[in-house]
Amino acid sequence: MNRYPRWPIHLALVVVSGVMLVPFYWVLKTSVSGENIYAYPPSIVPARIHPFFYVDVWYAIPFARYLMNSVVVSAIAVAGNVVFNAMAGYALTHGFRGKGFVVLLFLTCMMVPFQATIIPAYLITGRLGLLDSWLGLALPQCSTIICIFVFKASFDAVPRSLIDAARIDGLSEWRIIWHVMMPLSKSAIATNVILAFIWSWNNFLWPLIMTRTADMQTLPLGLARFLSYQEDTTGALYAFCIMVLAPGLLLFLMAQKEFMRGLTSGAVKG
Amino acid sequence: MAGVWRVRRQRTRLALLLWCFLAPSLAIFLLYRVIPVIWNLVLSFQYWSPLKPAEPAGLDHYEDLLYDDVFWQALWNTLIVIASAPIGIVLALVLALLVNAEIRGRDAYRTIIFTSYPLMTVAVAIIWRWMFDERVGLLNYAARSLHLIDTPIPFLNSFTWALPCVIVANIWQMLGFYMIILLTGLQNIPHELHEAAAIDGASAAGRFRRITLPLLRPSIFLAFVIGMLNSVTSFDLVYVMTGGGPGRATEILVTYIYKLGFNQTKFDDAAAVTVVFFVLLVATTWGANRFAGGEAGAAETE
Repeated sequence: MNRYPRWPIHLALVVVSGVMLVPFYWVLKTSVSGENIYAYPPSIVPARIHPFFYVDVWYAIPFARYLMNSVVVSAIAVAGNVVFNAMAGYALTHGFRGKGFVVLLFLTCMMVPFQATIIPAYLITGRLGLLDSWLGLALPQCSTIICIFVFKASFDAVPRSLIDAARIDGLSEWRIIWHVMMPLSKSAIATNVILAFIWSWNNFLWPLIMTRTADMQTLPLGLARFLSYQEDTTGALYAFCIMVLAPGLLLFLMAQKEFMRGLTSGAVKG
Repeated sequence: MAGVWRVRRQRTRLALLLWCFLAPSLAIFLLYRVIPVIWNLVLSFQYWSPLKPAEPAGLDHYEDLLYDDVFWQALWNTLIVIASAPIGIVLALVLALLVNAEIRGRDAYRTIIFTSYPLMTVAVAIIWRWMFDERVGLLNYAARSLHLIDTPIPFLNSFTWALPCVIVANIWQMLGFYMIILLTGLQNIPHELHEAAAIDGASAAGRFRRITLPLLRPSIFLAFVIGMLNSVTSFDLVYVMTGGGPGRATEILVTYIYKLGFNQTKFDDAAAVTVVFFVLLVATTWGANRFAGGEAGAAETE
């Protein structure tokens, strides 16, 4: 029905896509080209491609250690999110005394950005004796309110009769969650895994505050530190960037539908 | 009689079980949301440092803030950052309208524009630091090639440019996210409304103003609140791109809280700044909610 020329729309979108992609290209180009980044004018296409800078990163810093810390912390956060959020989401599909209060509490908590809690969060983690530990790094992110609501919405869609049938067959509530609800909520699980992973993988402020030893630092911290003492060197920094960006980017490209749905069905990050 | 008792007992048991299911999440939110907010408030009225017992301080810390130039600078910068959130939203709204049009390859455009959101902010900051660099930055190179400027601009070392540069990097990262929120809102507007208005002879501009914008209000509110929260808390970007400098030109409240607390171990002063920060956030959100016609956020989450 609408008759309007399409090319201005394409033009505008191509320009915006360019703005979004050029920084990526630039970083990728520098990380594989091995040329001096101070070359002027910079070359648009790399002359030779080789992985020199990537090897450099492995030797310049304890990259493997950072990687392990990041992977372990993200794994704890993902596991915590899937299990705890599924339990909480299932509880919220029932009516019980105090439910209104819980929902209100969740919605209020959603408005509290983590950055506004760093001082007491640090002191509390200190009291728990979890400073400078994997569990301490992951704990604040082990349950997220948006993701609880993602599970709740998914569980609400499961037919009531199925749950009643399971109950008559004598399944406990605990087993109803894991054997009836979860297999029917694959995309909610995917959303939880992706969001929890991205948030903990990218987290910078919390590890910055609560790690004391270099041994417990995660990749974002390693990257920031690398910047501070490699300022005037080569593309190794950008090779590092590519390596830390790759997992999040791949995960997003593989499951963008779940990702976007999760973000828009809930509300605020955190 | 016995039956009633059994049902009641079962119901109590179920409620108890449900509370157990909620317990881990509630414990985490209690530990890292509820208690911190209260503790923070208490701390801001005390003299306290890690090795000394607390003493009541009344309003001393807040009084100190009145004479603290850095605090005022950080507050002002934070307000500028909040005020810049609508720029990103307007851009995102235009993009959402464009990718909502029936054109070929719109899914690809959506993906490309959204891709910057899931990236690690530290890496984004490093990339943009380099884009803005005086000697080798792409922006200076492009501007010089086009003969827009004669001498390169030291963007991140300049008092005028540093804060806008951080805001640009933030908008770059968040643009796709706002776009997706607004796009979801656009897709929820019933198609018939537009068709009916078109038959009645409403122009495209008129339809946008009378139908699209009013119905999009909740989404715009949501995007604004998320955008505001995200940009005033963009600690990672500021920390890596400028470290708050040059001078205090890009110091925002969050970086100031961090510096007070963890560089100078003045936890009590930092707590007072946090309280101000928190009040500012709540006030802005409340104002935006009023502007959006109330209850906008709640409708989205339920």
